[in-house]
Amino acid sequence: MRPSFVIAAALAAFASPALAQDAYVVGITAALTGPPASTYAPAIEALRIYLDRVNAAGGVNGKKITLVIQDDSAEPSKAAANAKKLLTQDNAVLMINASLSSTYAPVVNEAKNAGVPLLFAASVCPKDVYPPAAEGQFCTTAFASTFDSRAALSFIKETAKEPVKIGFSAMAIPLSRGEIDFAESQAPALGMTAVDKEIIPPPTADYTPFATKIKDAGANWVFSWAPWVTQVRTFEALRRLGWTGDYLTWAHLEAEGELKRIKDDRLFVIGANSLFDDNLPIQKDIADAAKAAGAKYPPEQMTEGWVAGMVIEAALKGAGWPATSAKVQASMVNLKVDLKGLRGGPIEWTKENHFRTKQYYRVYRWDGAKTAVMKDWFAYDVK
Amino acid sequence: MSRSPRASGYFRTGYAQEIALTQTRLERISLIIFVLLLPAFPFLATAFYLDLACQVFLASIGAFALMLLTGYAGQVSLGHAGLLSAGAFTAGILFREFNAPFWVTLPAAALSGALLGVIFGLPSLRLRGLYLAVSTLALHFVVVYLGGEYETKRGFSTGITVDPPRVAGYTISNPRVWYFVLLVFAAAALLICLNLLRSRTGRAWRAIRMHETVAEALGIGVAAHKLLAFVISSSMAAVAGALFAYYRGFVSVEAFSLFLSIQYVAMIIVGGMGSLLGAVLGAVFVTLFPYAIEAALMQLPNAQAYAGVLFAVNYAAFGVVMILFLLFEPLGLVGIWRRLQTYFLLWPFRHRPLAGPRR
Amino acid sequence: MQLAVNIIVLSAIYALIACGYVLIYRVSRVLNLAHGELMMLGAYLLLATASSFGGHPVIAIGAAIGLSLLVGVMVYLFLMRKMTGEMVLAAVLTTVALGILLRGLMVLIWSAQQQYPGQALGAANPALVLPGGGRISTFAALLVVTTVLVYAGLFVFLRFGRWGVRMRAAGQNPLLAAQRGINLHAVYALAWGLSTLTGSLAGMLIALDSGLTNTMVVIGLKAFPAALVGGLDSLAGALIGALIIGAAEVLSIQYIDPLLSDVVPFLVLIVMLVLRPWGLLGTREELDRV
Repeated sequence: MRPSFVIAAALAAFASPALAQDAYVVGITAALTGPPASTYAPAIEALRIYLDRVNAAGGVNGKKITLVIQDDSAEPSKAAANAKKLLTQDNAVLMINASLSSTYAPVVNEAKNAGVPLLFAASVCPKDVYPPAAEGQFCTTAFASTFDSRAALSFIKETAKEPVKIGFSAMAIPLSRGEIDFAESQAPALGMTAVDKEIIPPPTADYTPFATKIKDAGANWVFSWAPWVTQVRTFEALRRLGWTGDYLTWAHLEAEGELKRIKDDRLFVIGANSLFDDNLPIQKDIADAAKAAGAKYPPEQMTEGWVAGMVIEAALKGAGWPATSAKVQASMVNLKVDLKGLRGGPIEWTKENHFRTKQYYRVYRWDGAKTAVMKDWFAYDVK
Repeated sequence: MSRSPRASGYFRTGYAQEIALTQTRLERISLIIFVLLLPAFPFLATAFYLDLACQVFLASIGAFALMLLTGYAGQVSLGHAGLLSAGAFTAGILFREFNAPFWVTLPAAALSGALLGVIFGLPSLRLRGLYLAVSTLALHFVVVYLGGEYETKRGFSTGITVDPPRVAGYTISNPRVWYFVLLVFAAAALLICLNLLRSRTGRAWRAIRMHETVAEALGIGVAAHKLLAFVISSSMAAVAGALFAYYRGFVSVEAFSLFLSIQYVAMIIVGGMGSLLGAVLGAVFVTLFPYAIEAALMQLPNAQAYAGVLFAVNYAAFGVVMILFLLFEPLGLVGIWRRLQTYFLLWPFRHRPLAGPRR
Repeated sequence: MQLAVNIIVLSAIYALIACGYVLIYRVSRVLNLAHGELMMLGAYLLLATASSFGGHPVIAIGAAIGLSLLVGVMVYLFLMRKMTGEMVLAAVLTTVALGILLRGLMVLIWSAQQQYPGQALGAANPALVLPGGGRISTFAALLVVTTVLVYAGLFVFLRFGRWGVRMRAAGQNPLLAAQRGINLHAVYALAWGLSTLTGSLAGMLIALDSGLTNTMVVIGLKAFPAALVGGLDSLAGALIGALIIGAAEVLSIQYIDPLLSDVVPFLVLIVMLVLRPWGLLGTREELDRV
């Protein structure tokens, strides 16, 4: 058996770029490609544009912020390798995970061992950021399990004009299923009858069979909490079958563009981010910055990343210079960032709560000409 | 036993010499040097490269398993990821449900791999070639589906976390320790494969691969040996999967996609079929390939903008490389290596002389 | 009634995709596992032509179809031609590698986002009401009609067309066909072109009906059992196989467990491989080249 000199050669060929430690190093492992990329890639781009602008304006505490972005294509092993590299080679003082929940465990482990705070942006908030929160984990993502269902069901109860027979649609991934199961369990307490629940595998050619079951069960409202693909295709299939009920679903990144495409006034989206048709000054800001940077994704999809950027800027500012991961973490524990209307309220973190103290929701729909607010900000305390 | 050409003088006088691991003094010395270099590596490399090396070891165990099955026994299998996932899930399930220790879950994983191997192998008794590949593909989907169902039904929406293994009171979590543990496992797997191939079973497999009917006529129990190939290959793959679960501390069904199966097949094709060295070379190549591409892309200006398309470039480059190897170098990296060896051994001649020692 | 409509639509999708597998296998004994990716490429080509020929949907669709035919022929000429005569496994792996390459290229060129060619074309997709109460979307109906037309066309072509007969001959006995004077490379190129064309049609119609995402590749893979169940070298078999798989999937969604629908095609495949590996209408073969 001949020795493999290939390993040695490969080693020699690797040049590891030494990063200037005269800046704040923020490491990101994200699912930039792979099936779920459309959720995370726009957020990361927005984050990059935001921090580039901050750097152009002189940086934070007089120092620039260096972003090191690694793609993990939603694979846990890649995410773990990325985390190792970012923590040991690039010496990041703050780590960000914007990828599927299956990548969390290894990345959390690595961050914990290195004592570096970990921020979940655009990716679902893990249990450990809710009170009582684990030390190093923080989350800025808009959607929140169980709170979303509660908010959605209470909206339906308020808005429904007749007894609610509710159907549910989820994608056959654990997160979506868990949420819809929870929603189903809450429905009876609110006086609604849960008539059908459809769990749809991702690679389905035709959603009509599933929609048929929901329609035949006699649902007059349908709630769907899943990746946008499942949500919108279930809706379209239902409409094609001649179903005339009301459909409430989560406002993912694509929601705004899709509302404009579908133009159905009984399609409601509930979300924590403001849609761009509100024309807030900060949204104009985002659109201008995106255009100037030649962004690949439309500005409406950039809210998540922008929020994360604002939070990171504030956290690093609070940490001072020279920055260590401990100082950044301490700064994040007592952070309060005003989001200028992008969400219903500020991101506010405490020692026990790394999610936010209040979660705000808004419901939009297409009113014939643009996306309009159906129900304005209402909040839930996160305890 | 194919050997690279020797100039002259290396005649074997006994059966023991025929099946010895190293034939010449040069081989022995290079082996010793290599064996000495390997343990030195973790003390010279950063954590990132250490992780890469561990990934290579894990991949090579799986590659050995597949090489035994496809390269030597000639049974095509496109369901390798399903077998890996079986081992990983066995380890995860036993750990979660019964808090089983390391030295129980690993043999249990091997056992479950063996059982699954019987199921995967049954079609091979009736089917060959394409249809066999298709049946393994279908079984892969079924296994992965079952794993996903388990995950959801038992509430592990983000996958099953597995604690670092404890052996005799000592927890294996230090990367350097992992390196040595995985090195030992990989070396053990290699030795198992080498011994199997030097023995009767290995010869039977080669015969089956060459021509089944003739093998049957020669008295080799074709059905039994085919199943044996599947069983051994699957249990080795399952052990690799279990080790993978422990190393990452984590099991989830998304990690075991069809692409992973194809990567293992690529390992043995790029490495070179019918050679364990090929399995190693292939494992190294396929594991390090994405990182090499990334390093290359990062050298370009405005590197961060490419981060978004890195995976797509990886995919495309992987496809191109696989196609190139299939079209132009069907013997794989081992073929290139042997050509290189031949060139230097025979220099200044280009070809072997017409008369002379025949191999 | 709606159930029957759903079954027919799903079977039509699978049938249209499956005939691509069958065409290539029957003519050259190669299993084209890149068919799903080629299907998706067809849909992306439609997107590209739709943006260029904005106001003329017919021209856009025609251009996309022509382009996909060209792509199929080029794939053969530049790639698969070198693999003729090699081991079957090597050829199949080449198609797998091609699929991976195409997937990477498609993301590089068009990004991973969901796309809506129907929107780019300005085509609406209203629902049609059928006698009996079932409803079907326009493009789904168009897909069913297209499948029927394609199969009819292929049957006639293979039976009576000059090149069709040549294709059948090359499939039955390549050596004799070559000695008879049939240009094997041309026949194979034609088979690849036709297969890519039908696959692209399927991809385009699915994209027009419900949008373009990268799960289309997996749908292409799920249609493969349909081809195999019917017999990899039989077009009629592909039709029957698609019906069986489509029915199995829809019925399992309706009556057993919706989650199974992902795995049902492969379960049927396994059952078929155990009982009758060469499919319902396929020719029994020996296949001992690995």
